[in-house]
Amino acid sequence: MEQAAIRPLKRRAKWNRTEFWMLLPSVIVLAAITIFPFFFMIYASFMDYRLDMDHPRFAGLENWQNTLTDETFWQSWGRTVVYAGGGLILQLLLGTGIALLLYHIPKFRNLFSTLVMLPVFVAPIVTGLLWRFLLDPTYGFYHWIVRQLGFDVQILGDPNFAMLAVIFMDVWEWTPLVTLIVLAGLQTVPEEPLEAADVDGANAWQKIFLVMLPMIRRMIVVALLIRSMDILRYVDTIVITTEGGPADATKTIGYYLMQVAFRFQDIGSAAAVGLTMLVVSTLMGRFFIKVLKAEEA
Amino acid sequence: MQLKKYSINTALYALMLLCLIWALSLILIMLMSSLKTQVNMFEMPPKLFFAPTFESYREMFFGRGDFPRFLKNSLMVSILTTIVCLFLGVMGGFGLARGGFKREKDISFWIISTRMAPIPAVILPLYLIFSKLQLIGTTTGLILAYTTFNLPFALWMMTTFFKDVPADLEEAAMIDGCGKFRAFWRIVVPTASPGIVATAVLCLMFAWNDYLFASIFTNRQTQTIPIAVSLLVSQSGIKWGQAMATGTVIITPMLICGLLVRKYMVRGLSMGAVK
Repeated sequence: MEQAAIRPLKRRAKWNRTEFWMLLPSVIVLAAITIFPFFFMIYASFMDYRLDMDHPRFAGLENWQNTLTDETFWQSWGRTVVYAGGGLILQLLLGTGIALLLYHIPKFRNLFSTLVMLPVFVAPIVTGLLWRFLLDPTYGFYHWIVRQLGFDVQILGDPNFAMLAVIFMDVWEWTPLVTLIVLAGLQTVPEEPLEAADVDGANAWQKIFLVMLPMIRRMIVVALLIRSMDILRYVDTIVITTEGGPADATKTIGYYLMQVAFRFQDIGSAAAVGLTMLVVSTLMGRFFIKVLKAEEA
Repeated sequence: MQLKKYSINTALYALMLLCLIWALSLILIMLMSSLKTQVNMFEMPPKLFFAPTFESYREMFFGRGDFPRFLKNSLMVSILTTIVCLFLGVMGGFGLARGGFKREKDISFWIISTRMAPIPAVILPLYLIFSKLQLIGTTTGLILAYTTFNLPFALWMMTTFFKDVPADLEEAAMIDGCGKFRAFWRIVVPTASPGIVATAVLCLMFAWNDYLFASIFTNRQTQTIPIAVSLLVSQSGIKWGQAMATGTVIITPMLICGLLVRKYMVRGLSMGAVK
């Protein structure tokens, strides 16, 4: 009896060693391509560093001071908040709505959810291309529709509408992901509370808002976190449609970084900007892990 | 009552149809435009029925744009990245799932925050290091760049898939005299193979769809297809026909791959949060 209890323990110890060696190559590769560059970026943020320079000069806090006092930096973060906030709210509302729709549809639910899912496979650069094509002031279909409705506005050329347009590009591409995450949550809601609500005479809306949505709120938070991190990651649609314009209306922090680094060639300041982005995304990642852990418990 | 239910269902299907039009119209318009002549493409409203022509595709493949090279580069880079990341990810993911390491939480956190790092903030330091190592413009450089997001992704996903495989399975194999590594390859890997395939497809997709890394790390010889799109657009006058054809070529393989592993797609795209 005692032996039987000890033997698996020993085996486990042996396994651990193998597992350590199995994980090690990944850790080494990942460290080489992420941790080292990370420290390099911290170093660069304290240097006067231009793309054509072989020997950067120590600059102290100059880059940080320039960056943090630069109005464009804060405006870019501000626009990022609008872009991400607007996009996330729309995706969440639409995504949850469509998920509830799919949940209640009596037939072909799988077919419909597969079809609705397709935009997530489209490369963001192609999404941008398509929207640019459809919004083109001379021969774009969506522009034509807008004009038929009586509005004559060059959507991508107008500072007020350009931001709305890039938000809609993200909404078009990623709402389906929110839908599918929420739908997966809805399908795990057990029958009993719904039946109990029926007995109590609840109508369909009450069941949705008082029973289903509260039960899947963790899924909704997961969807929000995944999307908020990805919305910070990509700038592809902005690069191909508006290039940050018109009049900087769509210059988000990611686009600003690319501009400072590769157009103005001011690596030191760009590094400081990059570090602020990393701090934000890391905090969100930490929150994501917390939510996941809470879900498992 | 019957009538009410009937009308509710009709409303649901009508709404569903609206969603489908919203989601699919762009893809369909691209597909149709790529098969139209330059004149037909700009007719308002767009015609649903027309005589298809492959002129845009012919021009794309055989014209001066050098499209076959873009395609070859894209295929090579995304397939090689996927192989490297999957190999490391399957091994490492198993190690992390079963190792019971004391720092498991910290390692997981490190992995996910690497995957979620904003692309511009990753590109900048890599660019500086790659230019010192003469890796700018090389296929190796681009593969390494893609590894920064695909390796953490593969590691994370494989960890969640291996955690779903009961440990009894490999322990039983070991009691039957199987070596530890053999138990992993012969028992655990086949059991988790749907997850491995899904992870591979997503790694392929992330690399294939990338634009920003490629725009910084490639030169004329190593450019990938997303770059071809931006070249068609940014030059004076946009070649819409070829741009639509190129877009179609970019998304078609990913639509097919995605649908093949549909069951695991949401799990992959939500970083394993949805089982």
